[in-house]
Amino acid sequence: MSRPVLLMTLRQRWLATLLSGLAVVLVVLMTGALFPSLGDAIGKLELPEGVSELLGGADYGSLTGWMRTEVGAVYGPLVIAAAAITGISSQLAGEEESGILGLLLAHPVSRRSLLLAKAAGVAISVVAIAIMTWLGLIAGVAIAGGGIGVGKLAALAAHLALFGLACGALALAIAAGTGRRAVANAVAAGIAVLGYLLNGFAPLVSGLDWTKYLTFFYYYTDGDPLSTGVDLAHLAILAAAAVALTVVSVVLFRDRDLRA
Amino acid sequence: MLLGLIAPTGGSACILGRDCRADGLEIRRRVGYLPGDFAMYPRLTGAEMLGHLAELRGGTSAAVRKALADRFGAELDRPIGELSTGNRQKIGLISAFMHEPEVLILDEPIAGLDPLVQQSFHALLDETAARGGTILLSSHTLSEVERVADRVAILRRGRLAEVDTLENLRQVAVHRLEVDMAGGRDSDSGLAGVPGVKEVRREGDHLLISYEGSADPLIKALAAHDVSAIRSRDDDLEEVFLDLYRDRGEGS
Repeated sequence: MSRPVLLMTLRQRWLATLLSGLAVVLVVLMTGALFPSLGDAIGKLELPEGVSELLGGADYGSLTGWMRTEVGAVYGPLVIAAAAITGISSQLAGEEESGILGLLLAHPVSRRSLLLAKAAGVAISVVAIAIMTWLGLIAGVAIAGGGIGVGKLAALAAHLALFGLACGALALAIAAGTGRRAVANAVAAGIAVLGYLLNGFAPLVSGLDWTKYLTFFYYYTDGDPLSTGVDLAHLAILAAAAVALTVVSVVLFRDRDLRA
Repeated sequence: MLLGLIAPTGGSACILGRDCRADGLEIRRRVGYLPGDFAMYPRLTGAEMLGHLAELRGGTSAAVRKALADRFGAELDRPIGELSTGNRQKIGLISAFMHEPEVLILDEPIAGLDPLVQQSFHALLDETAARGGTILLSSHTLSEVERVADRVAILRRGRLAEVDTLENLRQVAVHRLEVDMAGGRDSDSGLAGVPGVKEVRREGDHLLISYEGSADPLIKALAAHDVSAIRSRDDDLEEVFLDLYRDRGEGS
């Protein structure tokens, strides 16, 4: 892995990383502040099963349910997946489109070490957002009056981090294979959203129930980390997917003609 | 392709005796490259960008970088995004030369440079060549090619149409003379039949005469006329090359 490329990637991404992290933290703090007044008033919503599944149970009556629905089910994964996907797409495909990659690779750096350094830089950014989310959750829960352990919050952050890494690795493979930023963004985001919907609705259709196992979202959310802590098997599956997609990226990138 | 950015469909290429595919890293260590459309991180300053590229080479001499920057009058302290094309190009030139490479591949190196910088760049090319360096320069500016090149290759529709010394290319190429005649309108009669002359054309008050090979028969023929001025259009190499394209074009 090329150290200069890694450092340059971090340098290019730190502001976007910080803003994404702050975006989560602000919402988590607001969510925490609103719980005492709103949570009890709303209680548990009676929603159709699929919809309530999409919203992480829609149980607004407990702080765990409130946080799971407000942050865990949609907003957290949305922000972290967006940061991972747009981050790697711009670093790899975006730089190829602008011609910077052609310049860098005219230097004595192998394609594999460049790709791995870019991937590592964006991975660090994703983990940083997850850590900021965790710290935000600790503060948000404290504002709401407490009730969820720091460990459980860390479990949610860990699931978020690996979900983000898997989404980013998917975008990495598409960026490495096509060299087109818009394609990498659109396809990876599309697959992530499709996974979200499949995980929510597939269980309602008996023949399609198995498709939820194909989604990153299932392994992110099914173990309910906020209530039960980390699900190591699910985290391992997300990690394995991220590693496998990274290997695929290296192979796709190795022999492809770059746009000069 | 020489630097491994795109793969050949067939054949092989060697630089410094090493295969471009198998020894890509070694070749890229020893080659300086300036892409035709030189892109950099717009928010970095020139100094930061060059520092990054130097790190990719495992470090290069700061003194050499400084000397090159002084030579071109490069602005290294402003973000690259704020620089003019010419000032960006200077940074590209520094990056290509800063590790004192044995071989340079330069695509349209003087694009956007002012004449003074072009001059110091060409002086640098001379020094590099005198040191034993090899420079592969692509250019649409034929006056530049004429000034710096020993051997010229002409590409036509992606194929090598011609490789020769500039000298030899000139020999076979068509030359042009612009002649002002003091005489009347039909004073050009007869010139078209002179050996070597390919075309006689009237352009305003002058005659434009194209000829091949020696100028001697033409000059002798002109001596019989009342000639008030003769100008060579030869420095317009572009015309020469265009002729080359036309002459050899359809056969290749």
